Amino acid sequence: MAEPVEELERRIERLRSAVRHAVTTGDRATARTLRAELRRAEDAWEEALDDLADQAPAAPLPPRQRAVPGLLPLREQVHTALSLLSVPAAPRLVVQVHHAFFGEDVPSAKLTSLRRDEERSFRSAPFARPYYLCAALTADRLAPARGLLAVSTWPLEHRIVGPLSPRVDFLTAAVRVAEHAERLSKVDGGVARLLWMFGANIPGAASGIGTAAPAAVIRAARAELDSHTGVDRSHRTAAAARARAHLDDVGQLFGTQLRAVRSRTGT
Amino acid sequence: MQNAPVTSTEAHLDRLRGDVAPVNHNARTIAALTGNPGCRRRAVLDAAGVDKKAMSVHIGHPVPFGQSTFAITRGNAFEAQVKANGCAELLTMLRERLGLDIAEVAYNDLEEAGGNGSREVRHALARRMIDGAAAGVEGAGTLFDHPLLGLPIGGRTVYLEPDLIAFQVGAQFHIIEIKSFPVIDGQADGGKVAAAAVQSAVYVLALRRLFEELGHDPQRVSHNVILVCPENFSNRPVATLLDVRRQLTVLKRQLSRLRRVDELLATLDPGLTFDLGVRDGTATRPAGEVVAALGEVEARYSPDCLDMCELSYFCRAEARGTTHALGRTVREELGGIEFVDTALRLAEGRLAPTVELAETAHALRTALRMRTECLS
Ligand code: SF4
Repeated sequence: MAEPVEELERRIERLRSAVRHAVTTGDRATARTLRAELRRAEDAWEEALDDLADQAPAAPLPPRQRAVPGLLPLREQVHTALSLLSVPAAPRLVVQVHHAFFGEDVPSAKLTSLRRDEERSFRSAPFARPYYLCAALTADRLAPARGLLAVSTWPLEHRIVGPLSPRVDFLTAAVRVAEHAERLSKVDGGVARLLWMFGANIPGAASGIGTAAPAAVIRAARAELDSHTGVDRSHRTAAAARARAHLDDVGQLFGTQLRAVRSRTGT
Repeated sequence: MQNAPVTSTEAHLDRLRGDVAPVNHNARTIAALTGNPGCRRRAVLDAAGVDKKAMSVHIGHPVPFGQSTFAITRGNAFEAQVKANGCAELLTMLRERLGLDIAEVAYNDLEEAGGNGSREVRHALARRMIDGAAAGVEGAGTLFDHPLLGLPIGGRTVYLEPDLIAFQVGAQFHIIEIKSFPVIDGQADGGKVAAAAVQSAVYVLALRRLFEELGHDPQRVSHNVILVCPENFSNRPVATLLDVRRQLTVLKRQLSRLRRVDELLATLDPGLTFDLGVRDGTATRPAGEVVAALGEVEARYSPDCLDMCELSYFCRAEARGTTHALGRTVREELGGIEFVDTALRLAEGRLAPTVELAETAHALRTALRMRTECLS
């Protein structure tokens, strides 16, 4: 049931930027309506959050390391999951991976503000931390890709999202998850479910209904990757070069919010 | 990007709406609009983007109308699931059911144009991307998430906030409609499927128009829409092909019958406004004034309105006693008689019919006699 919350969060983000736009352009009427809508969305978010808390799994979880879930453990959790995947990922996948491999729940609701907090921290003291949780950048506009988290220490090319990248990243993540699963002495419920989620959606990866063996997932994912990686890499390399040429450090990590569109549009 | 010139029509519509953001049209409202093309009231209010729901509440005729928040949340969650992980589930389905090539995976997110979500920018981006894909530019894309399309309604371009992805199998483009009502053993609620078909037809029409504008063959937009629904109470998505040719024909005819908005506006008092005077989320304008303003624009209530218009309770109350409130069949049978009371008096012979009504009056008297005989 994490989706409604994510939906709301996306909407809240969109509304915030719309309010900002309305305020900066002096459109008070729109700003007022949007603000009201934003408040409603935020209320709904709080409610959805309570629901999530109610639905939290009853199964005993390993005790939390720290009593107060502050920013530090959260970013570490996210960092661990992202490092395992090695590709930009949506909060939902981060939560699934962390839960499957480390048996720990990541408070997913907190993930939305994470990127913003990291950006603030980076702006006030650039490169003070060993890594930042940052954005993936869209290949066409070098804007932050919607709803994806990445790690600042990755090569810029890995953080670029071109048209083929969502699929390439999905397949790469499948390989990584399967490799990780191979190393486990026993593939239990959470990991098996995760493998199936990948395996069911890669041709030739599933070994039966509901099961996907790590080796088969790896083989199938690599086979499909072959037909996408060449073009995908060329998109990413070109976009990364543009980003390096035109963006400062903050821009390269967190993306630009391009205001003006190039004057010559295809109309 | 060129800004559309602020025409006097736009200014007039802004005045009618008042100091609030316009309510956007979507495929659902366009489908509803074509359900009663003769209603001027709805045509004017919708063109101006008036919040009819808020209005109905304010004037004391709220309608239990529109999707519940629960349904919307459920719908959004299902859509997010189908599109998650690079549209993994969607691709699997399209490959299995429609033979989509393994190489066809390019995905374009057209929902947010790099943080600039204005409609003009989003529409321009969608145009550019779809143009590239239709022209066969290599790697131009297979999946287009939330492209913002335009459709002229009553002489104005309306932007559609579609809940869809258009994609191409070979050279054909398909509209994909993701709906959260279940398909059980291959069967779904007929009413819901019918509604989805009309809405999808709106998108097909808009996409075909875009193709035409861009100089591509509009027939490359398939009349087969791909409907994606959860299967058998599980959350597993299943794809069904939906032929919307019939809906397209009806839609095109109805849209061509809609009057031009500027013609409608020309008949209105220039001082007229439907502004609810919303301050901090509350409507402050006296309800009586709003009702009077509504009275300035002719409505054409029929029982069908109850399924598709937020003002239906108000219009029904207003139309009480008129023959058209009883539905089209009755109205046509009683051709020329406006009020139920007139019909009753003609039937009972308490009113002498005019020459034009002589025939109807005769029929009414016969009907009354037969009814009395049956009941006695
Ligand atoms: S309910 Fe009223 S405004 Fe709406 S379509 Fe019917 S007559 Fe027109």
